[in-house]
Amino acid sequence: MFYSTRSKLIASFLGVSFLVGAVSLLIGGQLLYKAVLSEATKRVRLDLNAAREIYLARINSVKVSLNITTLGFGFRSALRKYDDLELVTRLRRMAQHAELDFAGIVTGEDETLCRIGPNPVPNERHQTANPIANLAFEQGIPISGTVVLSNEFLSAESPELANQAKIQLLPSPKAAPRAEKEEPSGMALAAAIPVFEGDDLLGILYGGILLNRSQKIVDKVRDAVFQQEVYKGRSIGTATIFFNDLRISTNVSTLDGKRAIGTRVSKEVKDHVLEKGVTWTERAFVVNDWYITAYEPIEDIFGKRVGMLYVGILEAQYIDIVKKVLTVFVLITVAGMALAIGLGYILADKIMSPVHRLIKASQQVSEGNLSPEVGPLSKDEIGVLQNTFKDMIVSLQERDRRSRAESEDRLLQSEKQASIGRLAAGVAHEINNPLTGVLTFTHMLLRRKDIGDDIRSDLQTIAKATERVRRIVKGLLDFSRQTKLDREPTEINRLVRSTISLMENQALLKGVGIEFNPGKNLPMLTLDRSQFQSALLNLIINALDATETGGNVIVSTGITLSASDAGQKVVEIAIADTGCGIPPEDLDKLFDPFFSTKGIGQGTGLGLAVSFGIVQRHGGTIWVQSEVGSGSTFTIRLPLEGQRE
Amino acid sequence: MKIMVVDDEGIVLDSCRRVLEADGFQVLLVTSADKALAAIQDQEPALLLVDIKMPERDGMYLMREVKEKWPDIPIIVMSGYHTAETVKEAVKMGATTFIAKPFTPDELLETLRQVIQKKESPGN
Repeated sequence: MFYSTRSKLIASFLGVSFLVGAVSLLIGGQLLYKAVLSEATKRVRLDLNAAREIYLARINSVKVSLNITTLGFGFRSALRKYDDLELVTRLRRMAQHAELDFAGIVTGEDETLCRIGPNPVPNERHQTANPIANLAFEQGIPISGTVVLSNEFLSAESPELANQAKIQLLPSPKAAPRAEKEEPSGMALAAAIPVFEGDDLLGILYGGILLNRSQKIVDKVRDAVFQQEVYKGRSIGTATIFFNDLRISTNVSTLDGKRAIGTRVSKEVKDHVLEKGVTWTERAFVVNDWYITAYEPIEDIFGKRVGMLYVGILEAQYIDIVKKVLTVFVLITVAGMALAIGLGYILADKIMSPVHRLIKASQQVSEGNLSPEVGPLSKDEIGVLQNTFKDMIVSLQERDRRSRAESEDRLLQSEKQASIGRLAAGVAHEINNPLTGVLTFTHMLLRRKDIGDDIRSDLQTIAKATERVRRIVKGLLDFSRQTKLDREPTEINRLVRSTISLMENQALLKGVGIEFNPGKNLPMLTLDRSQFQSALLNLIINALDATETGGNVIVSTGITLSASDAGQKVVEIAIADTGCGIPPEDLDKLFDPFFSTKGIGQGTGLGLAVSFGIVQRHGGTIWVQSEVGSGSTFTIRLPLEGQRE
Repeated sequence: MKIMVVDDEGIVLDSCRRVLEADGFQVLLVTSADKALAAIQDQEPALLLVDIKMPERDGMYLMREVKEKWPDIPIIVMSGYHTAETVKEAVKMGATTFIAKPFTPDELLETLRQVIQKKESPGN
């Protein structure tokens, strides 16, 4: 029982802490995740800007290198003379310094003078289209930027470059389908500077860097932007340059640890960035892991979107932060729950221990111990309960004491009656014989005519006294006779009414009113009518005797609850008078044989004792309420069930 | 008319004789049941006045015997200590009526008269 209350308490504590924990976990986790994601997104945008700057700076560096070269006097005079060998030497030096993959000089549209590479001075001037040089030629101004170079062009520059440019397309499930299996073209950062002598164009110097399979830019982005931050052995930041949707330069790794060159971006990203030309910033699954990513389109020198620049941050580290925080949340919740269990346990103990003592105490009461230990009083509602319990114990003790006193009284009364009865029987029997003699001879003497009036008066006194003795003895006999009850079903109101009618004349003579208030719906009782009537008669006679002229005797019947047996109903017959009342000191002697308040010669002192005996043998009780000067009420109570002899 | 009084108490016997003789009855006094049975044989009393409680054989025994042998003799039972049961039993044994001790001469004579009247008009 205590266990159950304790577990309820603990369960509610647990419930609350669990609920709070779970809600904060859910909501907090969600908020945190969003915050972290937005932070990461912000960062990746900045990183993308940085990457673009690096990309543009590289283009600029190519342009500047070429520009410086064109300004050199030696270069100009060599160009003026078309001195191939001198020019190639200078070009090679420049390419080495500026880390260019290709460089050359054209003198007209698709007309190559010389170039670095294995075939520096082509036998035939006319060569494959050189888009950037052509644009510079066309516009007569320096051009720099991203340019797509055909494989033929690259082959002409250097077969090695052409090889480097060729990239096998690797299977990429989310990518937009592409028919070809290989990308032969290359994407390059390049610049082309027209060299003028006055208004005459001497030639155009061009050069650039092939991006295909080149790691320099992407690794520089990684190293500069992410400063070689490493998460679980992996660089947290990645950068990629796409040619169209194809990864041509990247430090994103495939599952086997190689750079993911040849894989392609998802169709969704391609549609957004390449087709619509917008920047894409979102969480995305890149090759083999989740990244917070940013993509932006790369436009070539003709303003056409030919590729994309990408940076991404490994999401795992952010997820890890969220996970760590959530773990702390969980730990706090668990700790809260553990605390709830402990607190619940202690509280339950604190709350339940007085209740426990109360339960123990009530068990003791039910076992008959009416002075159980309740323990120290609590100051809360339990204390109220304890006080109520104590009050209950006190009233139980009081009731117990009263009922014990009552039954002792009753026992005493019946013992008294029994012993007096035995005595009376013996006395009566012995006295009645001589009394017969006294009565006989007194009356015989009184019959004589020859006696004087004085003797006759004396004899009459003897006769009267003897009559009184006879009445006393008869009373004793009536009292001692424990005659068996001859019970029959009786309507109590009818019996009471007929008894009252016996006394009506006498009441009338005395000038005392006698009233009957019959109760309704009284059950039939099985009574010895004649004995019970004599008991009633006795009480009514006493009431009349106690009441002066002008007073009243009221007899009423009814049904009520028993005073001693809880829940038991009893029939009550009350005989109330407005007479002289009974002094308190006489109340407990009232039913004793030979106790009488009437004058000498008036009563035998046995009437109430006899009535008491009769009622008692019917299983009933008589009790008296009286106030000196205002009257007495004798109440007979008869049980409805289990009437006993 | 001859009346037999059976009682172990002398004062009762004396009282009865005094009252009955004064009223012209012939009175036979006997102190025990056995003596009564013997005397009835000889004296043939018209009526018996019997005490219930006597030493040795009691009034109940006597009544049973009398009713058996002389069913016509009416019996008046006397008792100083009677209950409803004893009265009922006495009537069952054959008592005609019952008188409680102590009694006054008038009460005794009245009871006797009733019994005699009853005996003389058996149709009742």
